[in-house]
Amino acid sequence: MLGMTQPVSLAVSSVERPPLWTMVIDLNRCMGCQSCVIACKARSRAGSGVFYTRLVERRSERLPEPKRFFLPVLCNHCKSPRCASACPSDAITKLENGIVMVDHARCTGSGKCVSACPFGAIQLDPFRGNKAYKCDFCLERVEAGLMPACVEACPSQARLFGDLNRPQGEFAAYIRHRMPRSAGKLGPRIIYIKLEDKTGSLPNVG
Amino acid sequence: MLDECKKGATVEGPRDPSRRHALRYCAMAATAMLAGSAKALAHPQPGQRRDSDTSSDRKVNRLDKDVRLVHSVCLGCNARCGNRVVVRDGRLVDVTGNPYHPYNTMGRPVDYATPVLKSIPLSASVCGKAKDVPNYVYNPYRILRPLKRAGKRGSGRFEPIEWDQLINEITFGGQTFRHLGEKRRVPGLLDLDSDAPMDPSAPELGPARNGFIFMTGRLQPGRKAFIDRFVKGAMGSINRIGHTDICGLGFRMGNYAFTEGRQVELKADPWKADYILVFGANIYAALQPGVNTYGAIVSKRHSQGRLHFTIVDPRAQEAVVHADRWIPIRPGQDGAFAMGMIRWIIEHEAYNLDYLAAPNQGAARALGNNAYSNATHLVITDPTHPGRGRFLRMRDMDPGAKGEQAEAFIVLSRKGHQPVSFQHVEAAMLDVATEVACSQYGRIKVKTAFRLMKEGVMEHSLDEYARLAGVDRSTIEDTARQFTSYGQRAAVCQYHGAGNYVGGTYAAYAIACLNALVGNVERKGGYMSSGGAVSKWKEGAYDLLDFPGRRRPKGVRISREKAWYEASSEYKKKRAGGSTGYPAKRPWFSFTKGGLSVETLAGIDEGYPYPCKILFTYFFNPLYSIPGGYRFKETLADTRKVPLHVSIDIGVNESNLYADYIVPDVTYAEGQYGWLPPHAPAFRFTGIRTPCIEPLTGRTGDGRPFCLETFLIDIARASGLPGFGKGVIHGHDGHTHDLIRAEDFYLRGFANIALNANIPRASRQEQAFVEKNYPVARFKRMLPVRIWKRICYMLARGGIFKDYEEVFEGSRFRYGVHKVALYNERLAATKDPFDGSLLPGTLKLIPPNGPRNGSDNQDEDYPFYLVTHKMNVHTQSRTVWHKWAMEIFPENFVVMNEEDAAKLGIGNGDMVRLISRGNPEGINGRAKIGRLVRKGCIAVSFHYGHTQLGASRLKISGGDRVFLGGKQVFEGDYLLPDPALAAGLNPNQVSDLDVAMMHTPMIDPVGGIPDFSTTRVKILKVDQ
Repeated sequence: MLGMTQPVSLAVSSVERPPLWTMVIDLNRCMGCQSCVIACKARSRAGSGVFYTRLVERRSERLPEPKRFFLPVLCNHCKSPRCASACPSDAITKLENGIVMVDHARCTGSGKCVSACPFGAIQLDPFRGNKAYKCDFCLERVEAGLMPACVEACPSQARLFGDLNRPQGEFAAYIRHRMPRSAGKLGPRIIYIKLEDKTGSLPNVG
Repeated sequence: MLDECKKGATVEGPRDPSRRHALRYCAMAATAMLAGSAKALAHPQPGQRRDSDTSSDRKVNRLDKDVRLVHSVCLGCNARCGNRVVVRDGRLVDVTGNPYHPYNTMGRPVDYATPVLKSIPLSASVCGKAKDVPNYVYNPYRILRPLKRAGKRGSGRFEPIEWDQLINEITFGGQTFRHLGEKRRVPGLLDLDSDAPMDPSAPELGPARNGFIFMTGRLQPGRKAFIDRFVKGAMGSINRIGHTDICGLGFRMGNYAFTEGRQVELKADPWKADYILVFGANIYAALQPGVNTYGAIVSKRHSQGRLHFTIVDPRAQEAVVHADRWIPIRPGQDGAFAMGMIRWIIEHEAYNLDYLAAPNQGAARALGNNAYSNATHLVITDPTHPGRGRFLRMRDMDPGAKGEQAEAFIVLSRKGHQPVSFQHVEAAMLDVATEVACSQYGRIKVKTAFRLMKEGVMEHSLDEYARLAGVDRSTIEDTARQFTSYGQRAAVCQYHGAGNYVGGTYAAYAIACLNALVGNVERKGGYMSSGGAVSKWKEGAYDLLDFPGRRRPKGVRISREKAWYEASSEYKKKRAGGSTGYPAKRPWFSFTKGGLSVETLAGIDEGYPYPCKILFTYFFNPLYSIPGGYRFKETLADTRKVPLHVSIDIGVNESNLYADYIVPDVTYAEGQYGWLPPHAPAFRFTGIRTPCIEPLTGRTGDGRPFCLETFLIDIARASGLPGFGKGVIHGHDGHTHDLIRAEDFYLRGFANIALNANIPRASRQEQAFVEKNYPVARFKRMLPVRIWKRICYMLARGGIFKDYEEVFEGSRFRYGVHKVALYNERLAATKDPFDGSLLPGTLKLIPPNGPRNGSDNQDEDYPFYLVTHKMNVHTQSRTVWHKWAMEIFPENFVVMNEEDAAKLGIGNGDMVRLISRGNPEGINGRAKIGRLVRKGCIAVSFHYGHTQLGASRLKISGGDRVFLGGKQVFEGDYLLPDPALAAGLNPNQVSDLDVAMMHTPMIDPVGGIPDFSTTRVKILKVDQ
């Protein structure tokens, strides 16, 4: 049916070739509703003030009509994560499935990763030993066949998630048709689809 | 292109997770099936390192073995999305969406017949309000036991009271506050159980029973039926009054006039519309259906290029990020904008002539439409005719006409321009003023409804409309051109901002009429009602409406809604004394949808038209939620105006701070049973709310939880009222059943719904799923097994849901209204309560500020309009307990335009004070500067600026046994406040009051609409 998609679960991949987990975020669908942010809090139980994902409200200053838009921000699960190189205790590793993980048994809370991350996506959690916490793509959910909490909660399917090696459904359509040519120097596992130009203007009438 | 790919998502596969859940949720051991589970993947690959710290919190998800799952319905707001609640160790730990429910799936749920165990891995969304529910349910400031006032009203002093004493005191009354120095006898419910007239000199006001007033805040079908049974059926009071007025009566009044009272909620169909013109609907943050449904499908279809939309709103709501255009209109001028569009459409003949010319339902159907308009019907305009202002009927022309024929409307045929019955032609003349031969009065002047509407619209020029709306003329022209460029697939979505102000009835009526001009009413992609509930709850296997001794309320509501002033003794006495009879002391509202909470409180304040004796408030915080609600503090504080006030609620809020008793209630996670039909547009379903966890409140001696139902049952039984107790529910099988606890009523309602909808019996597996997971299954023995199995089928899926396409035949909606009105004769027969003049029956420009709000220098003295709105993470007054929402947005702001701020020297984050004529002391808040609001306006959200719900220190001896937080929130006799709950400001605290009418809140005199949009304020920078 037009514009509608039935509910899906995450098809669990076969074991021969490990998955490469990837998230697509289409800014043309992000309503700024905070559903992902709260779903993430509900799953992570991160301490007060610690967010694995946030919505940043941006205003571009292209006068005479500036534009407003929402930008979901989270760990980009970079190919060469700067947080990992900065970590003095070797607590951060890039897994084969694409996910950048913090090993909290090793983390000493030095905070070096926090300043190294270009996205502001990693924080020390004062309620959990002041260790570094961030998005892990809800690994335990993904392995059980569930979407990450933020993806499941997104009402407009602005966040899509899947295995880049075996893309399915609408996620696959984005990978095939909308994937930007360059993934950037950091090789992130988050693919942003930019906002169309026409929308979001803020005229100043009065 | 993308659409083709969407179908590709698979549910099943070699590792179909649903097979595993079949085992977990049914406790039917078959361990062999667990072989080859997904655990293989969980092992880290060589060279990979996982989080080896096992001390971190365990993450719970719905596939875990040790959780229960319940499908229910959300009440984070009133939008009625489904919930899939995850419970572990009896504690609610998470909420996700119900994949069977269209509201969690952008309108495309999983097939209804899908076995429930296969649905469990499927994703379905909920918004942040639903996700925050654990913080609401387990909030330390929730009350679990009854409280009785222990100081003066409003002093915030309470003490715990035993349940039996509570029931006794409220039933029998007495000097129950003597120990506080109050010598008065407090009335009990039994005092009002009398058919004697309240006022023998005004018998039309009804019996003494009407002195019992029951005001409801957030009320939904289910509990509504229960409360009505008590208030109307058992007590016999007419005063069960809702809060539709502060919910959003403005747009509802427009639709009420447009549909001749048949339907008040219609919206653009976001699933099929090509273009939506949004007037004051906060589509990415609030609305019903909410952001999780309506906003989501708008956003998604817009991203695919399938839908365009324009936002008309003084404030840049979230949806402007995607809107094709944002039009920052001047507050209160939506009507001027719509009338300007109508003028353009008429002048350019851009309306749908075929649609408007069809004079009856058959003609509409022939065109593929469900609803016809009365555009061609003739209205008597001749000043010599006594029927002036009403429709011409066959009986006016042919005295011999009988029955239905006599009442037939008259149209002018296209051939020969003959007056004929509206039923006799397929198309009629649209834009006509003429004379017709009338049996008694000779030739009389008549005009079509369309002509009268057009005349109302043509009274002002396009430039004038543009000037009032505060936009360029070309903005109105461009919008009208675009709106008429999509055939019947362009529609209006109007909501609370469109008409929630004085004059709002006519503003919203004009907006509604735009839809008739493009002919989209009750069509796919058009302006649509909801398809309603799937089946009836009140009849079938059990009669839940009628009972022996049931009373029929009589008289006038204290809000004077749906009552005629001209029929009152007050009016007749004034007339007999030689006056015109006008003005009434306060307005009467014969032409309204009703639910007038503000006029109820104003009526209580003035004892008009009669005094209140006992006030019950349910889940309601009027002092916080009404614009200018602060005015009623003195009303609720006065024991002469409100001799007994009982509140039923989950906490101590700004309003029940003044109550004599507070009865603790359960939250929607523990109860608040309901059968929830959809909101407009489209869709047909009945969502079912059942408990997900056991009630946290205390219990009666016989084990029933303290809550609304237990309370009403116990006072009804103590008072000897009919309808509650032994043998009061009649079964179709000839047996009678008791009504002793909530489930006695609601489970039989579920039985009626399931049987009337003729749904299948649950499989053994699904029955086991319900019996293992749902607390309500404990009561299954109330019902025969064959009925219980059908209920299980429904409960397992969280309700009964129909597909989108099932409500259509082609593009024609199978449900909804069959007729809309460009001219409303009942409105035309309604008199202004102040001067007795007749109101216009069609569109007319009504200034948003009546003269009663006037001030000669308001532009200089109070230069800013204050507009108010909801936020995406909150519902009105109670989500301050949503911890994660408060973490994201710890406070709200005074949102200002950057040019205004620069003139006043106000910077981002500066503390400012807002002052109005209603509240000269003003309220303080922090400024947020930008372009998110029109110049000359400021925007402030609700939800913040609380003084109760945990924001203040209260003296409650023994309160640690009453509040959920226990000793954690108590220091001796004092409740410890959490300052975070007091953050920000509440814009309703500064709303204008009516200077000419007892300084009560501003009200639209037609419908009784409170004013949310046109309060004027001045802004002062506060030095810190």
